[in-house]
Amino acid sequence: MASNHSIVPLNETTALVSFGDNIDLDVNERIIALHHTVTNNPFQGFVESAPAYSSLAVFFRLPIRFGTVKKILETHIKSSESLESHGSAIEVPVLYDGDDLDVVAQQHQLSREEVISIHAAKLYRVFMLGFLPGFPYMGTVDQRIATARKNSPRTLVPAGSVGIAGIQTGIYPQSSPGGWQLIGRTPLKIFNAKKELPCLLKPGDSVKFYSITRLEFEKLNEY
Amino acid sequence: MSIKIVKPAVVTTLVSDGREGFRSLGIGPGGAMDYFAMKTANFLVGNDREAVLEMGYSSVEILFHEGGLISITGKGFDAFVNDEVATMWRPFKIKPNARLIFKKKSKGAWIYLAIHGGWKAQEWLHSFTTNLHAETGGFNGRTLQKGDILERNKTEVIATDERSMPWGISTNELSEVYSSPDIIRCISSAETDLMHGTSKEKFVSSGFTLTSQCNRMGYRLTGDPLFLGEKVELVSSPVDFGTVQLLPDGNPIVLMADHQTTGGYPRIASVVKADLCKLSQKMPGDKINFKMIPFQEAEEGLVSREQKLKEIKESCHLRIKKHFRQ
Repeated sequence: MASNHSIVPLNETTALVSFGDNIDLDVNERIIALHHTVTNNPFQGFVESAPAYSSLAVFFRLPIRFGTVKKILETHIKSSESLESHGSAIEVPVLYDGDDLDVVAQQHQLSREEVISIHAAKLYRVFMLGFLPGFPYMGTVDQRIATARKNSPRTLVPAGSVGIAGIQTGIYPQSSPGGWQLIGRTPLKIFNAKKELPCLLKPGDSVKFYSITRLEFEKLNEY
Repeated sequence: MSIKIVKPAVVTTLVSDGREGFRSLGIGPGGAMDYFAMKTANFLVGNDREAVLEMGYSSVEILFHEGGLISITGKGFDAFVNDEVATMWRPFKIKPNARLIFKKKSKGAWIYLAIHGGWKAQEWLHSFTTNLHAETGGFNGRTLQKGDILERNKTEVIATDERSMPWGISTNELSEVYSSPDIIRCISSAETDLMHGTSKEKFVSSGFTLTSQCNRMGYRLTGDPLFLGEKVELVSSPVDFGTVQLLPDGNPIVLMADHQTTGGYPRIASVVKADLCKLSQKMPGDKINFKMIPFQEAEEGLVSREQKLKEIKESCHLRIKKHFRQ
C-alpha cells in the first residue's frame, strides 16, 4: 500500500503518526495495525501508544529522542503493510427509548421503529476510545439516521446511554455532560473500574446492537 | 498515623506519577498539576512514587493525630504549624495534635503535602493517582472533603528530636524552575500551520488571560481572538498535557493533567514540558505570554529538568539515609 503519512512531534516526548484526517475503515485498520506493532515490539523508552481515527500518538521517555523514534516508526510503517484484523465481535443489547429518538426520526422523516432497525442493522467498528475512560467512537452510521450533535449539550447524560453524532455512534461509559443525540441505553456496563480489564471494548472491535424490551433491560441491568 | 481534613481546599486529591499504558482505552494519565513540586515533595521525605496530597485554590486546615516527617512544596500558599510559620521545600517533623494551616496568597495555585512512607492510596492500573471520571484511585476515587481521615502507609518511624532537617531545595534551584512566571514557552504542534498568518503572530505577541474556567482538566484563556486560515472539520485525535487547542470562539485552551485522551479542536501549539509547572501555578485572572521556541531547545530543556529532578532525588535519599543511620 502506498504510504501517505506524516510523523510530527505532538510534544517533546510524543510522536504523532497521521494517515490523513477522515473517518475511514482502511485508514483506521492501518492505524490499529501500527498500534499493535509498536505495542508488541516496544523500543527502549516506549511508554504507550494511543490510536485515534486516522492518527496514532506514540509516547516515549528520555533518553530516546523524537528523531530516533520517528525512524523506528518509519520502519514499522513499511513492515506493517500486511494487515490482520485484531478485534473481537461484541453484541450489545439496547433498549431504544432515548430522549432524542423522536428528534432523529423527525429530522429524517422516519418512524421510531425505522430509526431503531437502521441503527441495529449495521455492524459497527470501534475506531477509537476517547473523551471518557472507555468511551467508544463507533461507525459509520447509515446516512439515513446520521444526525449532528445537539446545539447545547446536556449537563448530565446517564452511563449506558447510546448516542449518535454525525456518522458516529457511541456509548457513555460514565454519567457525564454530553452533546450526542440519545437514542437508547444498554444495560451492559461497558466500563467497570473494579475489573482487571475495565473496558468492554477496545479499538478495532466490532459491535452489533440489538433491540431489547424494557423487561429484558431490567433483567440484564448491570447498573 | 492519620490526619483529619478539617477544611479542604476547593480541589484536594491524592496524586502521584501518572497512569501510563491505558490511553488507548480513553484512560488518561492524570497525575500532579505541578509535577516538579509533587516529585520534590516526595524526594524530600525519602519517597519516590508514593501518593502526595495536592491542594488547590483555597485555604486548608489539617489536624495531625500523630507526628511524622513531612514536606510542603508548591506555590500560592503560606504554611503555618500551630500559628508558627512552617518552612516550605524543606522537610520537617510535625508533632502529634499539630494543626497545619495553608493560607492562600497571590501568585500560585497548587500546594503539595508529602509524608515519609507516603499517604495510603488506592492503586488502580498501576498508579495511585486519582481518576475523578472513573471514580477510582487515590482517596476512593474522589476529592477529599471536610472530616475525611487520611492514613499514611505503615513505615518505620523516624526517631529524632530535631524539628527541621538540614536539606532542602534552594532559592536558586526554585528560580531556575519558576523564573519568568508569565512567559510560557511553546513548540509548534500538529495544526499550528492551519492558523492564519496574523493569528500565528498574535499567538506570541498578544498576551492571554486565564478565565474562570480553569480546572485540573484544562485552562481556558481569553485574548485577541485567533483564526484559522480556512475553516476545517477535524476528526478526534490524540492530545496531551500541555496541548494548546483553538476553540471555535477563537480562544485557546491549554489541556492540563486531567485532560481527555483525544480531542477534535486544532492543536495549535504544545507548552514545553519544563514550563507546565509554571503554567499550572497560574490563577484565573493571571496573564501569560506565549513564546515559541525551536523543538531542539525544548528537548534540551526537558533533559536538564529531568537531570535536575534526578539529582534532587539522589541527594535527598542520600541525606535521609545518612541522617537517620542507626
